[in-house]
Amino acid sequence: MKVSFFETVRYLAPEPLRPEWPVPSGAYDREAGAEAYRAMIERLQLVEELGFDWVSVSEHHYSPRILTPNPLLAAAFIAAHVKKLTIAVLGPIVPQSNPVRVAEELAMLDTFCQGRLVVGLLRGTTNEYLTYDLNPTEARGRTDEGMELILKAWTEPQPFAWQGRHFQFRTVSVWPRPLQQPYPKTYALGTSKESCEFAASHRLGCGLSYGTWESTARAGRYYREACARHGWEPGPDDVVYRANMIVADTDTEAQELFDQQSKQAPFPLRAGVRDALSTLDQRNVAGVPRAAIVNAALPTTFIGGPDTIIDQIQRCRDEIGAGVVDLSLTPPSSRDMGWLTRSLELFGTKVLPRIRGI
Amino acid sequence: MFTEGRVEVDGIRARYLEAGQGSPLVHFGADLSTPSPAHELLARRFRVIAVETLPPGRPGSEAAATIGRIIECLGLTDVDFMATAEASTAALWFALAEPERVRALVLEAPTAIGAAPRGELERRMPEVTTPTLVLFGTADRQAAQDTGRVYTKLIPNSHLVFVYDAAHAIGRDRPEAFAEVVADFLERHEAFIISRTPTVIHP
Repeated sequence: MKVSFFETVRYLAPEPLRPEWPVPSGAYDREAGAEAYRAMIERLQLVEELGFDWVSVSEHHYSPRILTPNPLLAAAFIAAHVKKLTIAVLGPIVPQSNPVRVAEELAMLDTFCQGRLVVGLLRGTTNEYLTYDLNPTEARGRTDEGMELILKAWTEPQPFAWQGRHFQFRTVSVWPRPLQQPYPKTYALGTSKESCEFAASHRLGCGLSYGTWESTARAGRYYREACARHGWEPGPDDVVYRANMIVADTDTEAQELFDQQSKQAPFPLRAGVRDALSTLDQRNVAGVPRAAIVNAALPTTFIGGPDTIIDQIQRCRDEIGAGVVDLSLTPPSSRDMGWLTRSLELFGTKVLPRIRGI
Repeated sequence: MFTEGRVEVDGIRARYLEAGQGSPLVHFGADLSTPSPAHELLARRFRVIAVETLPPGRPGSEAAATIGRIIECLGLTDVDFMATAEASTAALWFALAEPERVRALVLEAPTAIGAAPRGELERRMPEVTTPTLVLFGTADRQAAQDTGRVYTKLIPNSHLVFVYDAAHAIGRDRPEAFAEVVADFLERHEAFIISRTPTVIHP
């Protein structure tokens, strides 16, 4: 089992912020922001020393909860400060990006970090659609087409035109191309049938996140079956599972910490926006409809002391088929940096050495 | 095609222009000297009633009462309400006084904030429950664009829009841009921040 640390940048607001997304940018504190990015590098150096395999970043906007609106920029900064960690960009939100630009920037990044890059291509969480005025009903179509275009831009050696449904370019010829050939290890992120199908048909990995054991296992099964239909069998590294984890010295302590957590998102959308988005944003897990996650806290699937966590990671391997776990230790909005450091050290010393064989 | 009418209330004889079908959108503070392309665009979706500017110098609460009576005389109960520049003060007083009669409020280049000293209206803005859209043109040299943030900070359910390359008369300078966002807001209120713009180039 490989382990990735999901870096969210811990911004500690000096004053309480209005619990609403978007958070007014006038409330941003420059000193707190500068400190958050400085502390991020210090934390990732610890993550590297503890033996984690990857550090991951992802695109989120308009709040301090995850302070990487441009994950590629964050990845470049991180790559310059750590030596061994694989840089996992999981990922840029494809439907609201220029796919050619994403292909160019990821190729630059892969070259900067000497091929230590893995890539996840993402449809995005529901509220993020509001950031760049993405029509929610088009998110799926723009994601699929954008992913296809990115792969084409990386692999097509001659200049080409793209006559898509949502994107149109009269000439594409990206420089640089990725250092890793034909391109970095790439995942289609999402538990939906469409995402799993895209990954399977393009021989990509599959990134699953924040579901329950049962729903995530269903998506993992769907992906493997789709791969079989396309004539190949994915390996352990082809499935990444991103999840929240609360690890403590004992199961009781971990459960108490979990019970104290808010079950609401820290920066919810206004009710009228939430309701409208929930109607427009159609989601599914392996073809089974599910409600879009809007305003609810994301579930925590790993909870316990080291022995229990190891059992859960075994379960993750057996049921979900994941060979990489991408962990958010403590909620991204947590202000307790001491707890985060203790969790990292506890996981790094008591869990990590014992899961390599899983 | 706009038709002209007059309504007499509180000793004021106000001229108005009316066009369109659908739910009523009453606009106070409109310049009625020449036809407004924004009104014509909005009249495709709303029954637009543009009332000329009320005489200045009356306390806001009095002007609000007059607005209420004018709306009554027009045979309307609750309306979408748009106010331009100085009329925004009376519009906000009206929304405070009779919130059940204002479905949504649109303030075009409002001047209700900014005049020192900070007045009673600003202190009461947090009580405005009406969904409110505040628009400023980026080329406006008359109304202080910087006050836009104050409206949205004070009024709980409010949104700020900058209309690029429009001056004080936003609806005249950029009628399509103005009418599109106003109509969308009036239809969907806070959910107007969700894009419905299709991007399909080739099906």
